[in-house]
Amino acid sequence: MGLKPVTSPDTEATTIELTLDGEVVTAKEGVSLYDVISSTGKIVPAMCYHYTFDPFGSCGMCLVMQEGKKAPVRSCTAKATAGMVIRTEGDDLFAARKKGVEKHLSVHPLDCPVCDADGHCELQDMAFEHGVTDLANAKQKNIPEDTRSLVLDFNMNRCIACGECINICKDVQRIDALQFMKKGGFTQVVAKGDQALDCEFCGDCLAVCPVGAITNKFSKYAYKPWQLKKTTTTCNYCGDGCQMYVETKDTEVTRVTSPLSWKNKWGDRGDTVNGHGGLCVRGRFGFQFIDSKTRLKSPLVRTEAGFTETPWIDALDIAAGRLAYIKKTYGEQAIAGLITARCTNEDLYVFQKFMRTVIGTNHIDSSARYGHVNFVRAAQHALGATRMTNTSEEITRAQAILLVGSNITETNPVASLRVKAALGVYKAHVIVVDSAQTNIAALASHPTMVKPGTEGLFVQGLVKSAIQQDLIDEDVVKQSPEAYAALQQAVNSLTLDQIAEQTGTSVSHINEVTKIFAEAPRSIILCGEGIVRQTKGYHHVLNLIDLLWVTGKIGRPGCGINTLTEEANEQGALDMGVGPEFLPGGLAYDNPEARETFSNAWLTELPPAGQGDALLDIIKRCRSGEIKALYVVGENPLGTLPASCDVEAALKNLEVLICQDPFMTETSALAHVVFPATTFAEKDGTITNQEGKVQFLRPVFDPLGESAIDWHIMAGIANGLGASLDFETTHDIQREIMKIMPGYYNLGQPPKVEVNPEGYLRNGFATEVGSRYEQSSHATQAPRPFALKMIQLLYHSGKLSTQASGLLAISPNTKKLHMHPQDIEQLGLSPHDHVCVTSDAMSVELGIKPDLAIMPGSCGFPEHFNDPPVKDLMSVQVDPHTHVPYFKLAHVTIEKT
Amino acid sequence: MATQSNNLSKKIFDAVFFREIWDAMKVTFKHMFHRPMTFEYPREKRTIPDAHRGALGLLRYDDGKERCVGCDLCEAACPSRCIKVISEEDKSLPLQRYATEFYIDITKCVFCGYCVEACPVNALAMTKLYEFSTHDKRTLLFDKERLYDIGERYLDDAKKYLYAHNQEKEGEESIAYRYHFPVPVEKSQDS
Repeated sequence: MGLKPVTSPDTEATTIELTLDGEVVTAKEGVSLYDVISSTGKIVPAMCYHYTFDPFGSCGMCLVMQEGKKAPVRSCTAKATAGMVIRTEGDDLFAARKKGVEKHLSVHPLDCPVCDADGHCELQDMAFEHGVTDLANAKQKNIPEDTRSLVLDFNMNRCIACGECINICKDVQRIDALQFMKKGGFTQVVAKGDQALDCEFCGDCLAVCPVGAITNKFSKYAYKPWQLKKTTTTCNYCGDGCQMYVETKDTEVTRVTSPLSWKNKWGDRGDTVNGHGGLCVRGRFGFQFIDSKTRLKSPLVRTEAGFTETPWIDALDIAAGRLAYIKKTYGEQAIAGLITARCTNEDLYVFQKFMRTVIGTNHIDSSARYGHVNFVRAAQHALGATRMTNTSEEITRAQAILLVGSNITETNPVASLRVKAALGVYKAHVIVVDSAQTNIAALASHPTMVKPGTEGLFVQGLVKSAIQQDLIDEDVVKQSPEAYAALQQAVNSLTLDQIAEQTGTSVSHINEVTKIFAEAPRSIILCGEGIVRQTKGYHHVLNLIDLLWVTGKIGRPGCGINTLTEEANEQGALDMGVGPEFLPGGLAYDNPEARETFSNAWLTELPPAGQGDALLDIIKRCRSGEIKALYVVGENPLGTLPASCDVEAALKNLEVLICQDPFMTETSALAHVVFPATTFAEKDGTITNQEGKVQFLRPVFDPLGESAIDWHIMAGIANGLGASLDFETTHDIQREIMKIMPGYYNLGQPPKVEVNPEGYLRNGFATEVGSRYEQSSHATQAPRPFALKMIQLLYHSGKLSTQASGLLAISPNTKKLHMHPQDIEQLGLSPHDHVCVTSDAMSVELGIKPDLAIMPGSCGFPEHFNDPPVKDLMSVQVDPHTHVPYFKLAHVTIEKT
Repeated sequence: MATQSNNLSKKIFDAVFFREIWDAMKVTFKHMFHRPMTFEYPREKRTIPDAHRGALGLLRYDDGKERCVGCDLCEAACPSRCIKVISEEDKSLPLQRYATEFYIDITKCVFCGYCVEACPVNALAMTKLYEFSTHDKRTLLFDKERLYDIGERYLDDAKKYLYAHNQEKEGEESIAYRYHFPVPVEKSQDS
């Protein structure tokens, strides 16, 4: 709120009293007068004000009369003080505000007919409200339009210099990509240094621009606000689960807007701890895949002549018939299913119910297997929680944040704002541990670059350092002395010197960050794919929990361990029990009580306990011929897993491969039957974000062409198999989920996570902790000099975003290897050269791109693109505990071709 | 009794001289001596006042450029919702907005003229065309091509309509109705 943001969440500002239009109101001292007025429900017009940043005071509209002053004062920049007597209405104020509008309009072009903001323009509203009809001294600025940026066009004729775009970029996004510049006699907003704008393209500046000065290139001139149908839904790109408005004309998506806008400018700045309502580049500009021309429109069945379009009824009959044949001939165990974690909770629930009850197999898995399973299994094992333990509010108010292995600004840009707010507004210590120079590391108080693949080792170092420096919480030792002794024993073999050397850091740095983490009253761990999706990811998460435990943070308010997910509903996939080890509600599949409950609920026996394969084992069994039929919902194992898994041979070995996907993927190209599924935008249902908020998806239009919602297709196949799932609407599924998991639909309010490490510490901790801290073979020098990482780009998410033309325009597949300039120089390369990248598996030819974010000695390639097949350079390691495949890191040699 | 014999003689008089027929024919004969009030419609046509609200047409500037910028205000103003505009950026002339598609469902149109009034660049005007009856109702969905065709063929009518409704003025003042798009930065730097 207002002028003086509360810099410490621990201190409360004093309360004062002032008189507003004859009524006495109370307020916090130091806040802006405008905030006090708006908190009483009175609306004073203001064009440059937005609650997410400090008042700027340029528009001159928020005028009020203060007793004792002759002229009206600007309420936004005035501080509320005790005893003020304020009048907010009156003819004199109306006239003064009208003059303000006239001042803006006199240099504003009257090009409303072509302006995209027409009908959604604050200046227009103000002119209408104040009855401005006659302008005496109007003049035109005639500034050329800046169209150099890939995403946003700047028409500075229309700018009213309110500075909202600059302020939100600086104060909320902390990117600071825009500035004012005086050019041609007018103050204009330009990108830093008057270059073409090249930033993270979150589009928040576009959202808060009260006029049409900043416009969106992808939907420029294509709409007027009154033509569009606005649907509130949840973004499907990453696990942040941002709410967004998809605006459509018939079956065409015109643009995506966010709850953040100049229209809702009134609020309490403290509320931004739950998000500021904005979106990132993917959500705002990556909508083109929804109505893409490449969408599958009708079911395809493979015949000798290739794929033939087939009516739904026949395609469902063929699919069901073939599944029935496999089930009859080879048994239920010969059928397996994979589903993507971008589906809704309802789809996921129906999928696992279909596979387990109708087919009778437990060979099911989702794309949460690529890493999120590690976190959930570890948290469940150690803390009894099935998801991250903190809310975004707690992250914002933390005093120390340990961010391990996550390029958070690229993978989860909106979640990164919580860390940025903690850093900027609440002055938290942020310790970033990563093997690249990430954007968040540039802002962090303690950036730590470690060698690729040694993030886990660094965490071990932190635990060791905490014990060595005696930063241990006394209660911890008192409550479970055996467990503590075991941990002490386990870390005994480690030496900080060795760890510092292997990770490329220093002992003093490890000690310093451990001290900061241990001594802060509210410390939070955020672990990303750089540690969760790496070799021994499960153990790394447990080690992080050890760190929390020995420093006494477990169960303390505002402390905890959290993760970030790449796909929108990875958390939901595990909550819905899609995975051989889970039942809905995060219960273990082997739990006899839970099995009984579910077999009673579903009126059928569950497949026997102890059976069920995870992703890679399913692929292996397909190859060996044990699994004859695979049902793939939106997943693309062929496009995701490296060639060493030999997914292609496995899929070709199948007798039946049924795919359903909105697009033709590598996997569905091999399928026998392909069903056209819908994208998230046509679905009705819920998705669970990484925080545990269950949020609604609402259909923006009817399924395109003949495509159908995923669970409808599953129900159709079930009908073909002679079984009925008894679901008619999404509501029926939700009702069943509500019965099985009471309170799961939390309407966007994550329930408090109870953590209880007691059982874990008492039983088994001592036996397993030893193996976790064993020195691995990090010491051995890799035979190939460069570490190749599969990196995630801000502008993409998985493979889905490569179907969005807008995102491809911003970030096309350059076919270039990202390398540090220093390495490029050392190898004697120039940026236009092509290099041959060779790993143990194969070699690939690529261009090179200098990238300062990459650590010297390593290189990276975006994981979103398969052309050329860089992913095939990777070898796959499987976690023995969670069956998570690791294939994001390989050692390679780079040679000039 | 006198009135009775009077009535009788009047009746005989009327019957002898066909008085009733004369009365009836009087109206007919009267019309023989003044100008006809009707028109033999298909062969003869009536002069229509300039303010007449007929079929809508889209107009071009004198240099042949489309006036319409696709602002969609006509769609917003239309009380019978018979207009649909789809606009886009003109790729050949960057930064210029134009209507890629423009439909008027003339079967729904109530000829109120609000769309013409709403148009900020006077691209729409009503003409004196009223003969568009057809056997195929589908042809009554006027598309952009047809509307420009009407505008071109009935340009004089359209202009007169705009003058009559005080929307456009002759000469210099009409230039003000033209929207001038800004040029891109690159282009302004080149020149």
